[in-house]
Amino acid sequence: MIDFLQMIISGIAVGSSYALMALGMVLIYKASEVPNFVQGEMALLPVFMAYMLIYSYGQSVFAAFFGALAFAMLLGCFIEFAVVRRAKNPNILGLIIITIGLEMVLLGFVSWKFGADQRVMPFPISSYSSIMIGDVYISTLDLLTLVTALVIMTCLFLFFRFSKLGVAMKATQQNETAARLMGIRTHRVKMISWGISATVGTVAGLLLAPVFMEPYMMWSPMLKGFAAAVIGGMTSLPGAVFGAYIVGIVEHLFGGYISMEYKAVVAFAVIVIVLCVRPSGLFARHYVKKV
Amino acid sequence: MKTTLFAVLCSALLVLGIAGPGNAEVGVTETEIHIGQWSPQTGPAAPWGAVARGTDAYFKWINANGGIHGRKLVHHYFDDAYNPAKTIAGVKQLQEQTGMFAWASGVGTACGLAVRDYLMEKKIPWVGPSAGSRHWVNPPYKYLFNVYPLYLGDAQLLTEYAITEMGKKKIAVVYQEDDYGKQGLEGTEYILKKHDMELVEAVPVAITDTDMRPHAMKLRQSDADAVLLFVTPGHVARVLGTAKAMKFEPQWMSTTTCGDCPLMIAITKGLYEGVITASFGMAKPTGHVGSVQHINDPVHERLAKFKTEIYEQFAAKDERWGYTFTAGIGFVEPLVEAIRRSGRDLTREKLVEELENMKDFQGLMGRISYAPFDPADPLTRVGQQEIFLQECTANGGSRILTEWQTTEFIPMSE
Repeated sequence: MIDFLQMIISGIAVGSSYALMALGMVLIYKASEVPNFVQGEMALLPVFMAYMLIYSYGQSVFAAFFGALAFAMLLGCFIEFAVVRRAKNPNILGLIIITIGLEMVLLGFVSWKFGADQRVMPFPISSYSSIMIGDVYISTLDLLTLVTALVIMTCLFLFFRFSKLGVAMKATQQNETAARLMGIRTHRVKMISWGISATVGTVAGLLLAPVFMEPYMMWSPMLKGFAAAVIGGMTSLPGAVFGAYIVGIVEHLFGGYISMEYKAVVAFAVIVIVLCVRPSGLFARHYVKKV
Repeated sequence: MKTTLFAVLCSALLVLGIAGPGNAEVGVTETEIHIGQWSPQTGPAAPWGAVARGTDAYFKWINANGGIHGRKLVHHYFDDAYNPAKTIAGVKQLQEQTGMFAWASGVGTACGLAVRDYLMEKKIPWVGPSAGSRHWVNPPYKYLFNVYPLYLGDAQLLTEYAITEMGKKKIAVVYQEDDYGKQGLEGTEYILKKHDMELVEAVPVAITDTDMRPHAMKLRQSDADAVLLFVTPGHVARVLGTAKAMKFEPQWMSTTTCGDCPLMIAITKGLYEGVITASFGMAKPTGHVGSVQHINDPVHERLAKFKTEIYEQFAAKDERWGYTFTAGIGFVEPLVEAIRRSGRDLTREKLVEELENMKDFQGLMGRISYAPFDPADPLTRVGQQEIFLQECTANGGSRILTEWQTTEFIPMSE
């Protein structure tokens, strides 16, 4: 029983970082209707910028993290403004290829600028400390990730529900032409969506970096975040979070009870099962356009 | 008349071209020897790209000191991103378009396996694959000379030390799901069987997996008192960190792959202190057992000389002086020595002969010996079977725990 509880807790812990990546992907999917494969690298570059601010410019950890988040916001906006928006009537495949190309460019830049050596990010709390509840443990970093994910989820919920910009984003996603006719500057809304998405992803990156940093560090969390977003339905923020925790928990239970060898890929089996049962994902609302 | 003269001239040029300027060997000219190498400069294995850069700096140093018998070493290395498909494409391109005399090192078992048969069929010497895989020598190949001590040997020595010197009773293994990890597991089980013991846990790790919580949990459940890690440095850092958070702290042990104490101490934020690893060189165990050595202040005379003359003069500005860079020198020292011994009339057959005559050659690594090719005897191509154990200290130093130890070759089971 203790083992089972431990697996659930650990699954939730790892699911929190997947949730942050999934939220980022859903934000962009809602805005631009593209599965964003540059999500990981939009977080990677700011994380390495934070590292550079600390070690090359002697900034404090907090200043560097704040700088990284601000940079992420600008980076996301820039990518939408300078690249995605410039595509002429792109179809989904074209947009996917654009994001894959951007992923390679940013990854190549980080590898070139910072090298391939492994490193770790300084962090205010130790990534090795933990709290024990009976025989069940949770590391303080995991706990922080969990709390951060919950806070960001709540903020995003309130933002979309009550803020003017959030409502404008929802309107743009549902019907861009109608939104534009209502006076919403849809391009600007999309650009800000990319910025927020990159910032949320960077939070995940900054919480992963104290354990291990290398140019490929965001690849696996991005894929798991993508899996979670697909399970949740790609357009649902609560769905993405629910999907992320499902992925985390299933991975851990599968690794603990069935096979450690296939633990890393079980998330993709979950996608197949979910899409067979509910092709739109678990939480997606299906919009039917009249013709 | 003119046509006849032209035809004669063309024929003469053709004959001279085929015959060559006194030396017909591919990749060898009057002034150059062309050596090929693949290496991941990008991709997930990019930290091992320093192997090729170490080799490159070593060749530049040799050339700056006059080359070998009047010839410069021309080093052709390419980035295969640790992708066997790219390895084979790159090797074929360089071999068939430029023409390599021999191939040096080459990171990765899968990448090496992708080109092994091609190189062997063409009878092209390949010296010092940068992976301790049994596939290089079992069965042995006439033109393939291993330098890297086999992972099977690391596992034997670590397990034996844990049982006999440290009195460990419950041994677990964390192994990568590839040749590296599986041979480590096999070597550990081989020694445990000799002691009539069994593994308390064997936890596989997928190379793409970054979440080590379930793995650490399995280890904690096993209550192991020593855990051998046959995984990458990144996975080691994650396993140690997660286990520490779970308050599970056995004696950790690992292989030559994770023997770069300064790097491992840095990426584990000091958790690597006290971890025991195998080492294939770069330190001097003889006469120094019990003392601490640091790669930045080497006791090993040859290493100290290379730091000053090769690293400080020929390495790129941001290059790290570490085990991976120096291993790139160590893996190709036997090749360079054999080229030197072959003299001016360098041919592939002469090179193979000189390698086969090599006995107890010692560069940066342990003693290396080969023997005339015997298809039934892997030991004719194993090269180095010596390793020693070290314990990493808080400042990235290595406390030498044993003298050089010769490990046993375990043949592949049928």
